[in-house]
Amino acid sequence: MTHSLHREGSLDSLEKDYVLFIYPARGFNYKGSAPKVRRLVELLYQAGPVNMIPTSLRRNMYSGVTNEEILNSITVEGTRVYSVFNDREKLKKALMLIKEADEGISIMVSGITDRVRELAAEVGIDPHMINLSLGIHGRTDRLPPADIREFTTMCGHGVVSPHLVSDMIRRVKTEKISAFDGSVLLAEPCTCGIYNPCRSAELLREKAPLYTIDRW
Amino acid sequence: MIIHEEICVGCGRCQPYCPTAAIRYDGIKSRIDQEICYECSTCLRAAHCPVDAIAESPDVYDYPRALRRYFSDPSATHAATGIQGRGTEECKTNDVTRRCGPNQIGVAIEIGRPTLGMSILDIQKITRAIARAGVHKIEPHNPIHSMIANEATGDLKPEMLGERVLSAIIEIQVERHELRGILRTLKEVAKEVDSVFCIDAFTVVGPGLSVPEEVLESIRAEGFTWRPNAKVNMGIGRAWE
Repeated sequence: MTHSLHREGSLDSLEKDYVLFIYPARGFNYKGSAPKVRRLVELLYQAGPVNMIPTSLRRNMYSGVTNEEILNSITVEGTRVYSVFNDREKLKKALMLIKEADEGISIMVSGITDRVRELAAEVGIDPHMINLSLGIHGRTDRLPPADIREFTTMCGHGVVSPHLVSDMIRRVKTEKISAFDGSVLLAEPCTCGIYNPCRSAELLREKAPLYTIDRW
Repeated sequence: MIIHEEICVGCGRCQPYCPTAAIRYDGIKSRIDQEICYECSTCLRAAHCPVDAIAESPDVYDYPRALRRYFSDPSATHAATGIQGRGTEECKTNDVTRRCGPNQIGVAIEIGRPTLGMSILDIQKITRAIARAGVHKIEPHNPIHSMIANEATGDLKPEMLGERVLSAIIEIQVERHELRGILRTLKEVAKEVDSVFCIDAFTVVGPGLSVPEEVLESIRAEGFTWRPNAKVNMGIGRAWE
């Protein structure tokens, strides 16, 4: 999960990509956390995330699961919620609602640091800690190309395959699938629910003309 | 993971789903290379085989191969920690737990990320380098801790060394003035491993999300830079247990 700080891409693209975690702390505020987390998820819905998964269900918003099923699954103490927003203002609304609710559960936001700083100031939150990404090291020559990594790093655990991304670019380019439907398929392997299908669709539209059509 | 040869119709639909390209045609049927497979179960979970030919290997929970599943399948509950995921709460709940104090810095080495994975032999190169740098305490709630045979040397349990995992996280915590030494160590060991790792540095911030200059100076001094995006603990949690 830590990998959300290593999401790659241009600044313009990252401007449309903010991850928000709701995270109870084991041994500190686990007990009694379930109804509070559920309340916070209700507030997230008001702000409009583009993807979300609670650890109690592990099915993303595009899997056919209803909002009620997601909410009703949050009965287990310590349930964490992973969500992603594609718009600064939506994230701001989420943070305002969360701050107002004051449920006492830890909230993390991954995104462009300057934007998070601005948002915190606008909402009146004083952040506690930052986790900086110091980049990728070692055999970087073995990595897939940087433009493919813009997709794959949206999944923290690395289970969105670079080959699936290439395959999806081919399918979009040959009009076998729309960019958004292709992105929903790309989001499916990611069991954390922080793959951003809206940003992914934009990336697919952007990359498709650059690739020749070949089998992955 | 395995593909039942007698059921597979050779459509190839599952092949691009494998993060490590372990699924290939063998004749007209798809087959999973057991040496390369990380047991992440992405093919089973997401590829939607039209004839249900994909299944778990019968030996997936046999030790030490089970490490592949525990570290590579995000939905698997790790046997050593009893929780899902490869790391701990690290900075995510620090506003509540205060595990990392104002004069300390947390460093996480995200092994095999993004997507490449890493052999446990290579992970041992990193744990040994960290031990040589004088850090003998790897976060005890992290599943990597259960793999260590000797904290003083950083040696891992020898029976594990033939395995490989899609991702793992080594978490350590040092005083701020020790950050430079750790980064120097990681820069050197990066030349020895046959895969990749990402480095995270997490620290308590000042008013207005200001990162302590001492931390930034250590990062710059070792020739590292930081990405424009980061993960921020918003500081609105509290303890009640």
